[in-house]
Amino acid sequence: MSNLRWRLIGIAVLTALAVFFLFPRNRTIKVRGSDGLLRETVQRHVPLKYGLDLQGGMHIALEVDESKQAVADKSEAIDRALKTVRNRIEGFGVSEPVIQKAGSDRIIVELPGEADRDRALSVVQNQAFLEFKITDMTQALERVLPRLDAVVRDRKLAPASGTTTAATQTPGAPKGLQGLLTSADSGKKPDTSKKVALEKDSTSKDSIVTGGGAFSNLIQQGGMQGEYFVEAANINTVDKFLNDPGVQAALPPAKEVLWGTDSTVIAGKVYKALYVVDSRPIITGEYLTDARPNTSPLEGTIVQFKMNNVGGRRFRNETGKHVGHYMAIVLDKRVMGRPPVIQSAIGTDGQITMGGKDLAAAQDLALVLRAGALPVPLRVAEIRSIGPSLGKDSIDKGMQASIIAVVLVVLVMVVYYRLSGVLAVLALAFYVLFTLATLAGFGGALTLPGIAGFVLSIGIAVDANVLIFERIREELDRGKTVRTAIDEGFKHAMPAIIDSNVSTILTAAVLYQYGTGAVRGFAVTLIAGITASLVSAIFIVRTFYLLWLQRTRGAQTLSI
Amino acid sequence: MLRILHDTRYDFIKWWKHMAILTIAWILVGVAIAAQRTMTGGKAVNYSIEFTGGTLMQLKFAQPPQIDDIRATVAQAGYGHAEIQQFGSPTEYTVRAPGATAAAGDSTSKQIERALKTRYSPTGVQVVRSEFVGPRVGAELRRNAVIAILISFVVTLIYLAIRFEWRFGLAAVVATAHDIFTTLAFIMMMHLEVSLTVVAAILTVIGYSLNDTIIIFDRVRENLKKQRKESLRDVMNRSINETLPRSVMTHATTLAATIALLIFAGEVIRPFSWVMAFGIFTGTFSSIYVATALLLYIERKWPRSGEQKGTARALAEERRRDRGAAQNAVVAR
Repeated sequence: MSNLRWRLIGIAVLTALAVFFLFPRNRTIKVRGSDGLLRETVQRHVPLKYGLDLQGGMHIALEVDESKQAVADKSEAIDRALKTVRNRIEGFGVSEPVIQKAGSDRIIVELPGEADRDRALSVVQNQAFLEFKITDMTQALERVLPRLDAVVRDRKLAPASGTTTAATQTPGAPKGLQGLLTSADSGKKPDTSKKVALEKDSTSKDSIVTGGGAFSNLIQQGGMQGEYFVEAANINTVDKFLNDPGVQAALPPAKEVLWGTDSTVIAGKVYKALYVVDSRPIITGEYLTDARPNTSPLEGTIVQFKMNNVGGRRFRNETGKHVGHYMAIVLDKRVMGRPPVIQSAIGTDGQITMGGKDLAAAQDLALVLRAGALPVPLRVAEIRSIGPSLGKDSIDKGMQASIIAVVLVVLVMVVYYRLSGVLAVLALAFYVLFTLATLAGFGGALTLPGIAGFVLSIGIAVDANVLIFERIREELDRGKTVRTAIDEGFKHAMPAIIDSNVSTILTAAVLYQYGTGAVRGFAVTLIAGITASLVSAIFIVRTFYLLWLQRTRGAQTLSI
Repeated sequence: MLRILHDTRYDFIKWWKHMAILTIAWILVGVAIAAQRTMTGGKAVNYSIEFTGGTLMQLKFAQPPQIDDIRATVAQAGYGHAEIQQFGSPTEYTVRAPGATAAAGDSTSKQIERALKTRYSPTGVQVVRSEFVGPRVGAELRRNAVIAILISFVVTLIYLAIRFEWRFGLAAVVATAHDIFTTLAFIMMMHLEVSLTVVAAILTVIGYSLNDTIIIFDRVRENLKKQRKESLRDVMNRSINETLPRSVMTHATTLAATIALLIFAGEVIRPFSWVMAFGIFTGTFSSIYVATALLLYIERKWPRSGEQKGTARALAEERRRDRGAAQNAVVAR
C-alpha cells in the first residue's frame, strides 16, 4: 500500500521534472535586422535543440594551414585561434553558435540558421592581419622588369600561347613566350582612351614599354607610383609568375608585390591593381583598439579604427616621415582600396575605404579587426551547409514516420496483449516524455539520425514489456495466481532486460565517443531512449499493475 | 489470450548446417558483386564524401530537369568527373565532385552553383545542401569508424565475459561478426551509399543483435541451472523455443517502426533505414541459428570443469546419449 504510494509519488516527481525541462522558456537571441544591425530579441521556445541538419545552418571545421609556413605547436596555436574565432562569432549574429576545439588541431564552428557560406567563411577564416605599408616611389619594379622577363622565359613559366588565349578569350592576350608570339598585340598596350581615364589621377606616367617580355607585357603602369594594372583575364598568369621562387628571388629587395582588392574598368575592360610596397610595415594592427563601420559621402562605406596611445604615437611618427607618400592598408596580404596619400602625420584614428562593398561587408571587416588577428592562418577541413527548407522537410518527414511507427506499435501491443498492452502503451507516452526531457536536460540536439534512433527505440522500448508479459504468461501457465505471476514475471525478466540494454548503451557510448555531429545526436537519443524505456517499462508498468490489482482485489484472470 | 508460437518444440539446431551454407552463400554473393564492380573499373564500396573527401551538393529544381543537361552544365563548369544522381523526387538531384584542397572545394560548389544558375534561372534551381570534406578529414573519419566498430566489439566482449562467461561472450561476438558481414553483403547488393549514418546503423544492428542473443543466452543460463535430464542441445532448443514469442513480438514492433522510417522518413535517411531493416532481420536470424549453434560447438570443444554443474551434467547426459546412439547403430547393423 505505502509501496504503491511511493511509486506514484516517484512517477509524479519524474513527470514534473520532465515537464519542467520541456517547459517553454524565454531566451534572448541576436537577430540581424533589415538594416544590417544586430538587435536582441526575446523569443519563447521549447528548450529542445535541433541539430544543424534539421534547422538548417552551417558546420565548419578549420585546421591550421601549413602550406605557407609550418607551425610547431598546433594545439597551442588552435587554442589562441579559438579565442579569436569566438570573439568574431559573438558579433556575427546567429543564435546559439557552437565554437569548440576538436581533437588537438581543429576548430569546429556551428552556425545554426546561417545560409551565406561565403560570408561565414570570410568572418571565420580571414586572418585579419592588418599592416600599413608605404608604396614604392622608386620605380623599383621597372628596374627589375627585364630580369623578371628573363626569369619567366628561362623557367618556361609563360603558358603556350594557344592555351592562354583560349582560357582567357581575350583578343590581344599576353604576348607570350620568348617574343615569338605575333598576335594582335597593339591592343594590349595602354591605348589613349585608357590613358585619358588614368590621367585623372594626374600622376599617371606612360606605360612601361619594354621589349615585350612575358611578364612585362601583362602589367601596365597604374595611376600612381607603385601601382600597376593587370587585365582580369591575366590575373591567374601573373599570380603564377609572382609565386614562382625564381621570380620572387628576382623581385626588388625589401619590397613586396601585393594584389589590391579593387578592380577598375577602363575602356570596357576590367583591371585589377597590383602594388609594390615596402616589405617593412610602418605599423601593424596589434595596436588597434576599436573598429566601426560607417558610410561617408565621398568614399562610400568605410571602416574607422582607433589605435591605443602607443600605437598612435608610433603611427604619428612614421606617417610624419612619409608625408606626401602613399600608404597601402594591407589586410591579409591584400591592399584594401586605393592607397591614400599621407597629407600630414596621422594619430590614433584612421579609416579603411571599402571600395564598392556594402555596409554588411564593412561590418564584418570591423568585426574581425576588433576581434583581432588569427595567430595562424586557418583552412577549411570540412564544411556542411543545410538549407532551412531541407531541414523543415526532414522534420516533417521524421514526424510523420514517428507517428506512423507509434500507431503501428500501439496496434500490435493492444491487439496482442489487451489490457496489459494498453498499460504498456500508456507507459510509452511517459517514455516519449522522458526521452525528450532527457535530451533537453542534457542539452543534446535532435538530429535526423536522432529521430531515426528515436523511432527505432520506440520499437525497442516495448521489448522490455514484451519480455515481462511473456514471462507473466509462462508463470500463469504454471498455474500461479495473478499476483504471484506478475511478481515472478518481473523478477525473472529482469536479468535479460538489464544485460541486453546495458550492451546497447555501451555500443551507443562508443558511437558518441567516435562520432561527430548527426551521429552523435543519434547516440545521445539512443542512450536517452533506452534509459527512459527502462524506467517506463519496468517501474511505471509495474505500478500500473499494482494499481490494477488494488482496484480489482482477488482478480482471478489477467488480461494479457 | 491471443497467442502465437506458444509452447513450440522446433528443433532449430538441426538446421545449423543448412543455415551456415545459406549465410556463407549470401556473404559470397556480396563479395562477388564487390569483385565484379572492381573488375569493371567501378568502386566496390559506394563511400559518401565524408569518407572520400570532395564536394556534395543537393539541388532542388523548379521543373524536372534532364539529367544529361545537368551533367553537361556541371561539366562545363569544369567538373566532368562529377557524379550526378536523382535523389528521391524527380526535381531533386545530387552532384558529387571529387575535390582536393579547401580553397578549390569552396569554389567547387560556388562554380557549379553559378553554372547551374546561369543555365536554369536563379530561381529555377536551389542548393538545399552542400558539403565539403577535405581529404585529411575523410581519412580520419574512415579510421574512426573502424576504431568505433572494434572498440564496441571489445567492450561488449568484456561485458559479456563479466555477466556471463567467456564461452557465451565468444559465441555472441562471433554471431555479431556474422551480422556485420551479412549486412555488408546487403550494402553491396543494394549499392547503398556508406556514410557515417550508415556506420551508425551498422553499430546499432550490432547492439540489437547482441540484445537478441543475450536474451536467448539468458534463457540458456537459466535452463542450465535447473537440473533437468536434458542434453545441452535440448537445452539450446528449449531456450530458443521458449523465447520465440518474445522474438517474434519484438521484431514485429521494431520492424514496423523501421518500415515506417523506410517509407516515410525521406531520402536522406533511406540508406540508414535499409541497413536497419536488414539488420533486424539478420540479427534475429543469427541469434537463433548462428549464436546457439556456435555456443554448442564451443561448449563441446572446451568443456567446463566440475563447478558449473548444470552444463557439465548436460554434457555428460549428451555423451551418454551419444554412446547409446552408437550402440543402437551397432545393434541396427
